[in-house]
Amino acid sequence: MELSGDILVGAPRTRVWDGLNDAEILVRSIPGCEAMEVVSPTERTARVMVKVGPVRARFTGHVRMQDIRPGEGCTLHFEGSGGPAGMARGQSAVSLTDEDGGTRLRYTVQASVGGKLGQVGGRMIDAAAKQMADQFFAAFNDAVGGKEPVPQAEPALAPPPEPQAPAVEAGAVAAAPPPVADAAAVHVPRVVRPPALPAPAPVGEGVRILWFALGVLSTAFGAWIASMLSR
Amino acid sequence: MADLYPIRVTVNGETHQCSVQPRTHLADFLRETLGLKGSHLGCEHGVCGACTVELNGHMVRGCLTLAVQADGGTVNTIEGVSRAGVIRDLQQAFVQRNALQCGFCTPGMLMAAKELIEQRPDASRAEVREWISGNYCRCTGYHAIVDAICEVLQHRRAATVRTEASA
Amino acid sequence: MKAAAFDYVKPRSLDQVISLLQEHGDDARLLAGGQSLLASLNMRLSEPRLLVDITGLDALRGISVQGGMLRIGALATHTEIESSPLIAQAAPLLAAAAPHIAHRAIRNAGTWGGSIAHADPAAEWPACLLALGGTVVARGPKGERRIAADDFFQGLYATALEADEVLVAAEIPLATAENWFAFDELARRRGDYAIVGMAITGRRRGGVLADTRIVLMGVDSTPRRARRTEALLNGKTVDAAIAATAAASLRAEIEPLPDLTNSPGTKRHLAGVLLQRLLTRACA
Repeated sequence: MELSGDILVGAPRTRVWDGLNDAEILVRSIPGCEAMEVVSPTERTARVMVKVGPVRARFTGHVRMQDIRPGEGCTLHFEGSGGPAGMARGQSAVSLTDEDGGTRLRYTVQASVGGKLGQVGGRMIDAAAKQMADQFFAAFNDAVGGKEPVPQAEPALAPPPEPQAPAVEAGAVAAAPPPVADAAAVHVPRVVRPPALPAPAPVGEGVRILWFALGVLSTAFGAWIASMLSR
Repeated sequence: MADLYPIRVTVNGETHQCSVQPRTHLADFLRETLGLKGSHLGCEHGVCGACTVELNGHMVRGCLTLAVQADGGTVNTIEGVSRAGVIRDLQQAFVQRNALQCGFCTPGMLMAAKELIEQRPDASRAEVREWISGNYCRCTGYHAIVDAICEVLQHRRAATVRTEASA
Repeated sequence: MKAAAFDYVKPRSLDQVISLLQEHGDDARLLAGGQSLLASLNMRLSEPRLLVDITGLDALRGISVQGGMLRIGALATHTEIESSPLIAQAAPLLAAAAPHIAHRAIRNAGTWGGSIAHADPAAEWPACLLALGGTVVARGPKGERRIAADDFFQGLYATALEADEVLVAAEIPLATAENWFAFDELARRRGDYAIVGMAITGRRRGGVLADTRIVLMGVDSTPRRARRTEALLNGKTVDAAIAATAAASLRAEIEPLPDLTNSPGTKRHLAGVLLQRLLTRACA
C-alpha cells in the first residue's frame, strides 16, 4: 500500500517540528490512541483503538526511526504483528518546508500487509489509512496552529488529557495539561497514558487492523524521536 | 452475559427445542448439536458456499445465519432434501457426469442448484454459471457441474412440455 | 473462526430498539440480514456485547408507493427487490443492480436498510440511492427525520445516522417515461465487490439529457458523484464524440483511491471505460 499527502499547518516550521515531537500532542491527535511507551531513544510502541465502520480493533505498533534531519524531516520504520489476524511492516517519510501561511508538511507511506487482514480488508486499506491520516493531521493542525497552548517540547511525564472521542468523525482536542518539571532524556521505559482508561486488554483480544494507523503513528513518532536525538 | 437462548426450529421435518449460545451460527448448530454433518464449513465468512442450507424456503449461508435467527423457522439440509427425493435427478446427473470428486462443495452445490431449478426453470447455461458462482469447487473445474444442472433443466422442461401436451 | 460471545435480543418494538441503543451505545450492534455484520464477527474484527435483532419489526418491511414516492422498508431483502414487479416498473435501476449483489444466498438474507446504513463505498444500494436522489428515513429518540442521499454518506462506513437512530426505510422518486438509467460493475469475478461500478440516472427528452446523476462505486471512501461530468452531459444528445468527451472529463474529475490490487490509474481508466460503455449502450 502506498499513501502520501500533505497539509499546510498554520505555524512556523520550528513550532511544527516541536509539535511533532510532543507526546501529548501526538497522543491527542492520533485517533483512538490509548497509550504510548518509550522503549529506547529511537523506538516507541503505542496502543491504538481503531474504529472503522463495524470494526473495532486494538493494536500495538512498534516504530524505529532513522535519517533525522532536525526541523526538516526523518524516516520511520514500523512493524506490527496481529498474530493469526495478520501483520504489516513498512516505512514512512515526513518532511517540512516553509510556505506562505505556515509550514507544508509532506508525508509518504509504503507498507506491506499480510495475513487475513490483507486478504479481507485489502480494498479498504487505503481509504481507511487516508481517513485516519486526515483526522490525525486535522487534530494536529488544531493543536499546533495556535488554537491552544502547547507545552514546551519535552517528553510529557504527566498523563495527557482524555483521548479523542471514539467516533470516526470526532476531531475535538482537549486542553493541554500543565508541564511537569523534571523532563529529561532518561533511558527508562516511560508510559504516557491518558487517564481513566481500563488496564490494557489481554493479548488474547487480538491485535488487528494495524495498518490503518501505522502510517500516521510512524510519522508522528519518528518526528518525535528525531527531536529527542537532535538535542 | 446470558449463556443460552432457547430456540424451537424444525429441521428436515423434525422439530427441535434447544438452548444455544447466541454466537453459534446455524451451520455449527446443525453439525454439532444435531449431528447433521452434510453442510460443510469452508471459509466461514459467506463466500465459498459450502455451508448453504435452506431456511424458510430460501437458500442462505449457514455461517452467516445465527441459530437464534432460525427460532420458529424451518430448515432443510442436504440430508432432508436428499431423503425427500426432490433432487434425485440432480444427484444422478452429478454422479453420471463426474460433477463431484472430493465432494466437499457438493451439498452446497446441490442446494444452490435446487433453488435455481425451482426459481429459474428456463435458465440458460450462462445463467446457470452465474447462479452457481457463489459456490466454490476446487476439484472439478465446474464444467461437469454446469453440464449436470443444464441436463436436469432440459429434462424437466421436456417433462413439463410432455405433461402439458397430454393434459 | 468463531465469533466472540455476545448477548442477543429480538425486540418487538422500535422504541425498545432505540432505548437499547441508547443504553448500550457502541457495545450494541443492530442485526438485520447480518450478511456483513456476521462475517466481521466470525473473523473477530468486531466484538460487540449485544446484538439487537430488528427483524421482528414488521413495520420495517414492505415495498410500496406512499405519498408519490417508492418507499422500500429497511428489511426488504435484496431478492425481494430483485423480484418485485413494482420495483421493475417504478425503479428499474434497482432491478438492474440487484443481480450484481454478491450471490443469491446472500441476497436472500441481506437487506436494503442494512446495505445503506453500512455504506460500503463499493456497494450497490448506496450508489443507487445517491443516483436516484433518494431519501433515508431514520427514527431516533427525538422522532423521525429524513436525510437526503446527498447528505447521508459522509466518510468510510460513516453516515449521517446518529448512534441511537435506526434506518427504517429509504424512499426514491417514481420513475417516469422520461427517466433513463444505466448500471454496470467491473469486477474480476461475478459477485465480487466492484473495482469500479457506476449508476447513472437522468431525464431524456427528444434525446437531450437533463438532471443527469453519475455515481461511482469503489473509487472513493463513499459513493461518489461526478458533478462536473454530469453538468457537461446536461443539455446534450449523446453520440460517440460526446461519450468520449464525457469519459475524458470523468477521468480528469475523479481522484480514485487505490486498493491492494488496483492502482489509482487503473480505477481512473476503468471509470472512463464504464461511462463510455453505459452512455453508448443507453443512448445509441
